[in-house]
Amino acid sequence: MKRLSYIWMILLLTACSSIDCPVNSIVETIWKVYDGKGQELKLADTLTVTTVRKDAQVITVLNGRDATVLNKLTEKSTFNLPISYSHPEDVFVFHFDNSNNNNLHVTDTVWITKNDYAHFESVDCNSIFFHTLTGIRYTNHYLDSIVIKNPSVTYDYETVHLHIYPKSSN
Amino acid sequence: MVSASASAQIKFFAFQKDSIPVFRGFAVSFDLVGAGLMAFSNNGQYEGALRVNLHDEWFPIVEVGLGKANHSDDVTHIHYDTKAPYFRIGIDKNMLKDKHGKNRLYAGLRYAYTSYKVNISRPTFPDPVWQWDTDTYNIQDASCSQHWIEAVVGVDAKIFGPLHLGWSLRYKRRISHSQDIDFGRSWYVPGYGMDGDTRLGGTFNVIIDI
Repeated sequence: MKRLSYIWMILLLTACSSIDCPVNSIVETIWKVYDGKGQELKLADTLTVTTVRKDAQVITVLNGRDATVLNKLTEKSTFNLPISYSHPEDVFVFHFDNSNNNNLHVTDTVWITKNDYAHFESVDCNSIFFHTLTGIRYTNHYLDSIVIKNPSVTYDYETVHLHIYPKSSN
Repeated sequence: MVSASASAQIKFFAFQKDSIPVFRGFAVSFDLVGAGLMAFSNNGQYEGALRVNLHDEWFPIVEVGLGKANHSDDVTHIHYDTKAPYFRIGIDKNMLKDKHGKNRLYAGLRYAYTSYKVNISRPTFPDPVWQWDTDTYNIQDASCSQHWIEAVVGVDAKIFGPLHLGWSLRYKRRISHSQDIDFGRSWYVPGYGMDGDTRLGGTFNVIIDI
C-alpha cells in the first residue's frame, strides 16, 4: 500500500495540467535578401514597408496605428513582415531610400496571395491563423524578383518564407 | 530466484483455491462525478459500466459514456463544443487478502477510444494590423479520434443488499490522437478530459449487483 501511495504521488505530479499557450504566438512572414549570385546580401539602402488597404488606398495612419510595418531597415539581410489574419491578398509598398546614393527613392508594390486557416490551441489562447502562400507578384523598379521558398506560414520563426533579389544595378 | 519470481507471478494471476465458484455475477454502475461535472461545469460525461465478478478477484469491465463540452471563453471569445460517446475496456484485480469480504480495493488497467467532432468559432474581430473585420475563425465538424490507456485504483464498499458505493482514481495517458484537418489541438476529448499527453481523473460510482 505504501508503494502504491508513492506511485500515485508521482503520477499526480506528472499529470498536472496548465494553460499552455505557445510562448511564441506570432505568425509572420520571414524575408531574406540575396544578390544575383545567390549570396546573402545586407541592404545598403534603407527599406521601409507600408501596407495598403483592401480598397487600394495607401494609408499612413489607420485607427491611430501607423501603417508602417517595417521602418528604416538598413544593413540587414533578414526582416519580418506581418500577414493578415484572413484576407486573400496582402499588399505591401516597399520604399527604398538612400541620401548617399543620388537621393535614391524608389518604391515597389508587392501583392501576396494566400489561403488562411484558423488555428486553435485552447479556448484560453488568442485566435491565430496559419497560412499557405499561393502566389506573389511585384513591380520591378528596385526589385529583380521575389521567390516563395516556403509557403507554409506558422509559429515557426526560423524558416525563411521568401527570398528577395534586388536588381544588381541599384 | 527465477523460479520463485515465476511462482509469484502465477500466484498473482491464479484464483485462490476455495469452495466459492469462479463466476460470481455481474454488476452495473453509474458515475456521479461525471454527471456532476455535466450539470455544474462546461464539460463532463454520463458514464456507466458493466463489470463481471470472477471469484471476487478479477473483474473484467466495460465502461461506456457520453462526453460533452460547451464553452465560450469570456476573454478570448472563442467557443468550443463537442459531444461524443466513448468506451473503455479493461480489468481490475481485488488487491485485498480477504477476497470475499464486503469491501474491495481495486487496481486495474483500461484501454479507451473515442471518435468525436469539434466546432470552434469566434465572433468577428478586427485584424490587428489591417483593422478590417476577420470573420472566418470558424472550424466546423472537424473529425478527431483518440486512443488512450488508464491506470486505475479504486475502492468498493457494500452498503446493503446489492448496493455498493465506490470511487476510483485514474491516471490517463494518450497513445495517439488524429484529426482529419490540421486545425491545431482539441481542448476537450470526450471521456479523457482536457487535452494533454497525461491527465488525472476520478469517478464516484453507485454500483448494483445483478
